[in-house]
Amino acid sequence: MTDDKDVLRDVWFGRIPTCFTLYQDEITEREAEPYYLLLPRVSYLTLVTDKVKKHFQKVMRQEDISEIWFEYEGTPLKWHYPIGLLFDLLASSSALPWNIIVHFKSFPEKDLLHCPSKDAIEAHFMSCMKEADALKHKSQVINEMQKKDHKQLWMGLQNDRFDQFWAINRKLMEYPAEENGFRYIPFRIYQTTTERPFIQKLFRPVAADGQLHTLGDLLREVCPSAIAPEDGGKKNQVMIHGIEPMLETPLQWLSEHLSYPDNFLHISIIPQPID
Amino acid sequence: MLGRPRPLSEISSPSAIRTGNPSHAAAKLRAPALLSSSYTLPFNMEEDEFLEEKTFQHYCAEFIKHSQQIGDGWEWKTSKDYSDGYMYKTCFQANEMAGACPGTCADVQTWLPTEEALDLPSDDLEVIETQAASEVVKYEYHVLYSCSYQVPVLYFRASFLDGRPLTLQDIWNGVHESYKTRPLQGPWDTITQQEHPILGQPFFVLHPCKTTEFMAPVLKNSQKINRTVNYITSWLSIVGPAVGLNLPLSYAKATSRDEDAD
Repeated sequence: MTDDKDVLRDVWFGRIPTCFTLYQDEITEREAEPYYLLLPRVSYLTLVTDKVKKHFQKVMRQEDISEIWFEYEGTPLKWHYPIGLLFDLLASSSALPWNIIVHFKSFPEKDLLHCPSKDAIEAHFMSCMKEADALKHKSQVINEMQKKDHKQLWMGLQNDRFDQFWAINRKLMEYPAEENGFRYIPFRIYQTTTERPFIQKLFRPVAADGQLHTLGDLLREVCPSAIAPEDGGKKNQVMIHGIEPMLETPLQWLSEHLSYPDNFLHISIIPQPID
Repeated sequence: MLGRPRPLSEISSPSAIRTGNPSHAAAKLRAPALLSSSYTLPFNMEEDEFLEEKTFQHYCAEFIKHSQQIGDGWEWKTSKDYSDGYMYKTCFQANEMAGACPGTCADVQTWLPTEEALDLPSDDLEVIETQAASEVVKYEYHVLYSCSYQVPVLYFRASFLDGRPLTLQDIWNGVHESYKTRPLQGPWDTITQQEHPILGQPFFVLHPCKTTEFMAPVLKNSQKINRTVNYITSWLSIVGPAVGLNLPLSYAKATSRDEDAD
């Protein structure tokens, strides 16, 4: 259906207007102007911020520069989480642009993974894809692919090439004719209120009787507190790519259309914003 | 939906990429025999060589029981909001230096170099001891269950007592020469830094996707000689040494002792 393919494009081309400001305690030779950038929701911070880095390094001395890291309202931003997930989880209730602080000192070793190179991002991305396929197809589809196919997935993401990426990724979205969906759905549910970074469990897209499981079924099973109305009746928002899908949506459909390029559904549970 | 669903063909050979192929080996993970008359296994084993989460927890519990008997320091930590958790061990070691004793994690006292070993006059020894104290390293080993790959995964990290973390190179340098006889070369030895799925902090991880492959012969062999095997004991004895973690032999005897009818 054409409508469904449009969803894939809308997801891929989602952007977040962001303002990068240098941390005030960084030592500069001249005043550092903020840097504005539209960030791709489906990519990773360290993959798309070369220009940001160059911009601020222009006003700093080489000896004051070590590994770059980003922070939002005091929270170090995990570069290995997709940008859209970070925004939805931490900043979606605030006004745009997304204000991110840039650091070049005091890397928070206890909170953030190091990102020594683009290769590290590629390794992380491919590792997520492989894990997703382990869940969907017992790794059979991704293992059948050649190295150049894997490379094409990565290059597609890195260069923002939708067609290049989906030429290969579509194979990861198929399933046997006799089944009604994947073996298990790759998903992770994030909440800022828990110590645990995310919830991930085995969950089938199809019930024993052949009925398709919905987003609501998933949440009721693995994270019931997320959608059960609290005492004060305060509900949470269930957000993927900045939207709240209906809880009746079949999970299989969500997995095929609203997954991130790593083939995972990254779902944010956030408190309902006070208007 | 994109494309027509198509039947998936069976894999015939291991891929060139470093990913696991769970359907490759055919070893059956036999349900362990009763370890004691009062213990029954309330869960079913899957047909293939996967490890289910409840089974994983059972093996860890047995492993920890023995660890407690010999004072090896392993414990279980249950996750706050969920029924899952992990097995962990923390130990301390003075970092590698001239004359220091080789080996695995142990108390600090054991590893401080003696005067004779360093062959130094005694007033120099004072200086060395101060240095030694600042070089004490805390090692943390966590064994978690991966539901995606249905295998255990080893997470580890090391830091100085003041909190400064060690890099992977630092950790490797701290493992004595004699334990480096198997340098990073096995398919299970891909180590990357990743986020701990329960604590949310950076740890080093031994990649899990080849686990089923190297565990298959172990399980197959245990079937052949009709001896039950604690999956966790076997697995940890294979992957542990790569990161300086060694298991006393009594773990192996513990499993077989329970087996033999007395």
